[in-house]
Amino acid sequence: MKAETILALWKRPMGHGPSLPKFLLGAYMLLAIVAPLIALQNPYDPLQIYGWEASSPPGTVGTGGFMYLLGTDGLGRDIASTILYGLRISLVVSITSTAIGALVGLTAGVSAAYFGKWVDVVIMRVVDLQLSLPTILVALIAIVTLGPGIDRIILALIIVQWATYARIARGVALSEINKPYLDAARLLRLPISRIIFRHLLPNSIAPAITLIPIELGHAVALEATLSFLGLGVPIDKPSLGSAVANGFQYLLTGQYWISLFPGLALFGLIASINFVGEDIRRRLDPRSRSI
Amino acid sequence: MMSTVTGRLSQAFLLLLVMSLIGFVGIHSVGNPVYNIVNIETATAEDIRKATIALGLDQPLWRQYVLFIGNVVTGNFGTSYIYHLPAFRLVMSKLPATLELASIAMLIAAPAGTLLGLLAGRRQGKPADSAILKASVFALSIPSFWLSMMLILLGAIMTGWFPSGGRGPTVSLLGQDWSFLTLDGLRQLTLPALALAIPNIALIARLARSGTIEVESQDFTRFCRAKGLSSRRILFRHTLPNISVPIVTIVGMQFGGMLAFAVVVETIFAWPGVGKLLIDSIQLLDRPVVMATLTFVSVAFVGLNALVDLFYALLDPRVRRSA
Repeated sequence: MKAETILALWKRPMGHGPSLPKFLLGAYMLLAIVAPLIALQNPYDPLQIYGWEASSPPGTVGTGGFMYLLGTDGLGRDIASTILYGLRISLVVSITSTAIGALVGLTAGVSAAYFGKWVDVVIMRVVDLQLSLPTILVALIAIVTLGPGIDRIILALIIVQWATYARIARGVALSEINKPYLDAARLLRLPISRIIFRHLLPNSIAPAITLIPIELGHAVALEATLSFLGLGVPIDKPSLGSAVANGFQYLLTGQYWISLFPGLALFGLIASINFVGEDIRRRLDPRSRSI
Repeated sequence: MMSTVTGRLSQAFLLLLVMSLIGFVGIHSVGNPVYNIVNIETATAEDIRKATIALGLDQPLWRQYVLFIGNVVTGNFGTSYIYHLPAFRLVMSKLPATLELASIAMLIAAPAGTLLGLLAGRRQGKPADSAILKASVFALSIPSFWLSMMLILLGAIMTGWFPSGGRGPTVSLLGQDWSFLTLDGLRQLTLPALALAIPNIALIARLARSGTIEVESQDFTRFCRAKGLSSRRILFRHTLPNISVPIVTIVGMQFGGMLAFAVVVETIFAWPGVGKLLIDSIQLLDRPVVMATLTFVSVAFVGLNALVDLFYALLDPRVRRSA
């Protein structure tokens, strides 16, 4: 992949014409940003919740005079508002962790290639081991080790994600390292950090770019899964995963809406990220064996 | 071949050792399990001191770690704080249920995924292909916990076809209890197994599809077609063996992944396996059981990967010859 390709992607990140996944993804981003303005209530502010309205079915008109479009959960929180607020946290957590994870992974991979020897061995063995374990296991180990809290989930998701980027970046960097421009940089006695960050890294990230949307989808799903299990976002903060979990006990008594709608929102978010990601990958690498 | 496998295995175990150290230090900084053992409201300082000594938590951390590693080597992870049973034996007692669930799920996923992939690959670009591709993205996008809940909603609550959770009656065979031997047990298994299988069907189908496309464009397939072989025979006798290596790899790795993802599915379906035990133990700060489970699953994984490597040699004569 050439630099021009990246440039083209930068100028036209979403390909030609609108499509449902792109539209959906855009709508999600917009909703997350304006959530406090359009949500009926802040579902995690006890003063705005009426306990007697717990488990109202979708369409119930509440005490405040507005309609609970998607119903309320077992504590009387408006589900639509919970989804909007949960979306914010889910997106912030996953986007932050994906961005930092990519940066850490790419730097580690490029450094492994540049320094070689034991640095390479150590970094790549860790990468190998981590990639041989399923992500959910790595995430669980990280969460058990780190403890609860939003910053810890972000850290856990970074730990889960960096290895994939490291492996790919190392492969590319190894083929870049013998090129004349790097010899020139070394001959100029540029500081190592400058060689790595200004010369080697920008030329080694191209193949990893296609990974970002896929990893973002994974991050959203993983954050939701951890929150669902009660190991992610703390219970006093909204999250799509914990919103689904809140409805689990009510599912068995037929109050399906508490779990259905947050889950549907989550599913739509992950699916639209994945479709857009697949689109980007297909356009960047037409021969890609779409696995 | 053998030496590379053993080399990789020993490196992996060394790494696991390092990871266990990091994990050990980390888990000790997250909350004190003593407060889960004693009754916080009534316990005196003396009670807490006694409990701390009884759990060995009064020792310096490095001493605890050395003790821990020494014990792990002999399969002794200590006694569960909650169940008062040896942690490792507790994990082992839950293992058959998880293995059964994952096996049934893989028995559904592997053939279904391969068939769908072959079908899509044969008709590349046709409606069947794009439908399967689209469906696979959807299937891979559904969070497994929500998929499980929707399966309960559709398969148990709205229709009443299947039970919504639990393991139900089991039949004893070879000293273990199994569900798959009775009709009732199979009904209990259906929904959780489907929840585990659906994402894997999608994954295997995508892999089989891209493999089929690659193989079908090669000269030997064209030769088979020129020879007048039926397309079904080409597909199953010539294409299928050639795409089997990546499929076996993914089946092997995903089987391990299922053991891990069983964490979610077991929790929702109240399936009494290792995954549910792990989540329960994390929430109850039952440290020996958490460590035993995570160590066991990680080690099992490293072993499984080595096994998949060996399997390559069996399936692919080229790998065997190069060794």
